[in-house]
Amino acid sequence: MTKSLLETILDPSKLSVLFQPIFEVQNGIKRLDSLEALIRGPQGTNFNRADILFDYVRRKKAEVAVDHTCFMAVCDEVMRLPAEVRVNVNVHAATLGQSCGFVEFFRRCAKKRSLKLERFTIEIVEHAPSCDASQLTTTILQLRELGIRIALDDVGLGQSNYRMMLDCDPEYFKLDGYFVRNLNRDPKRRAVVASLVALSESLESAVVAEAVGSQEDLSQVAELGVNLVQANILCPAMPLAELQKLGYVDATPDFDAMPGSDAAFGKMQNFDRRDMRFAAAAGQSFYT
Amino acid sequence: MANKILIIDDDEQLRNVCRDFLAEGGYEVDCAEELEEAQSLLTFIPYSVVITDLRLSKLAFGGLDVIRHIREQALRARVIVLTAYGWPDLKAEASASGIDAFLRKPARLSELGAAVHTLIGATS
Repeated sequence: MTKSLLETILDPSKLSVLFQPIFEVQNGIKRLDSLEALIRGPQGTNFNRADILFDYVRRKKAEVAVDHTCFMAVCDEVMRLPAEVRVNVNVHAATLGQSCGFVEFFRRCAKKRSLKLERFTIEIVEHAPSCDASQLTTTILQLRELGIRIALDDVGLGQSNYRMMLDCDPEYFKLDGYFVRNLNRDPKRRAVVASLVALSESLESAVVAEAVGSQEDLSQVAELGVNLVQANILCPAMPLAELQKLGYVDATPDFDAMPGSDAAFGKMQNFDRRDMRFAAAAGQSFYT
Repeated sequence: MANKILIIDDDEQLRNVCRDFLAEGGYEVDCAEELEEAQSLLTFIPYSVVITDLRLSKLAFGGLDVIRHIREQALRARVIVLTAYGWPDLKAEASASGIDAFLRKPARLSELGAAVHTLIGATS
C-alpha cells in the first residue's frame, strides 16, 4: 500500500538534520555556545523546505507526531556530537500543552542513546492561537526537573507573546530576525530590541539574536547587550560533517564504538516507534 | 525569471505528464497531491498559474477549497480547473469562486499549454 504524505514525513530515516551554531560573541571573538538542530523533510519532496514542511504539519494538526519523529532524528545525529556540545531542539507548544507522553518519550529516547538530558534546550515554537497553558506549564516543569533548558522561539512575533514569556519562564528569548534586520538604520527597531533586552534581564533570561544579517547589525546587537547570536553571516545551517570540517565541533570520537550504534540500533528505533504509538494512544492521533 | 506553475492532482501519473510537458515549455513546475500540501506551497511560493483538479485525495471538492484559499489570501495566481467533473452546477460554482479557465479531462496537453500561455500572457 502506498504511504500517505504524512506517513512519509513520519519516517525518521527520511528526515535530515542540519545544525546551526549559536555563538557567544564578546569583543568580536565568537565562541560556540550551542547548536540548533534544524529538520529538513524528505529529499525530492516539497517538504525538503522547512517552512513548507512545518506549515503542512500544522495544517494536518500533526504537531505531536512530527515533534516525536523529529526528536528521534535529532537524537540519532546528536550521538555523533562530542558530549559537551549543547543542542537546541524545536518543539511545538501544542505538543507540550497536551498530555501526550512527550516528556517520557524525550527521556527514554535520549537515555537509549546515552545522551545526557542536560545537554538539551527545547525551543518552544507556537503558531496556534492558544494551547492548554496549565498543561504547558506542567510539562515545562517536568522538563526542567530533568535538567532541560527552555527557550522561547520567535519572540515578538505571532504567539510568542508576553503570556508565553510568563507561562514558559524561558532561560532564553530567541529574538526573531525581523527585529534585528537593518537595526543599524532603524531607531524604532533598536527601541524594541532594547526593551526586550531589559525585559529579559528582569525575567533572568538571556537573549539570542537570530538571523542577524550584517556586520553592522551584529555590532548593534552587541551594543544593546545581546551577546548570543545565531546568523548565517557567522555560520549557516549545515550537516554535522561540514561543521566538523570547518572545525566548529570536534570530529566524532568513534561512532561505531559508541553505545547504541551497533546492530541493536535498529531494534532501538523500533522501541521508539512503539513509544510513539503509546503516546498516540494517550493523546493525539498521529494520522489526522 | 521563469513563471511558476503549481499542479494539484491526486493522480501521480497525470501530475508527472503535465509537469514534464510544462517544464519543456520553460516553466518552473511544482506538484501537490493534496489540499494541505497545496495550501502550504501557496503560502510560501508565488505561482503565476495553479492547475487543479476538483477531487483531491478523497475530498470530493477539495479543488474548490484550493480556489477559495487563493482568493481569500488575495494571491495573484490564475486558476485553471482540470477535472473529469462536467456538471453544470459544479462548473458554475467553480466559476463563481473565481477560476480563469475550465478544462474537461481528458484534455489535450496542447489545450492545457494554450490555456497556461494565455493566462500568463494576460498577467505579464
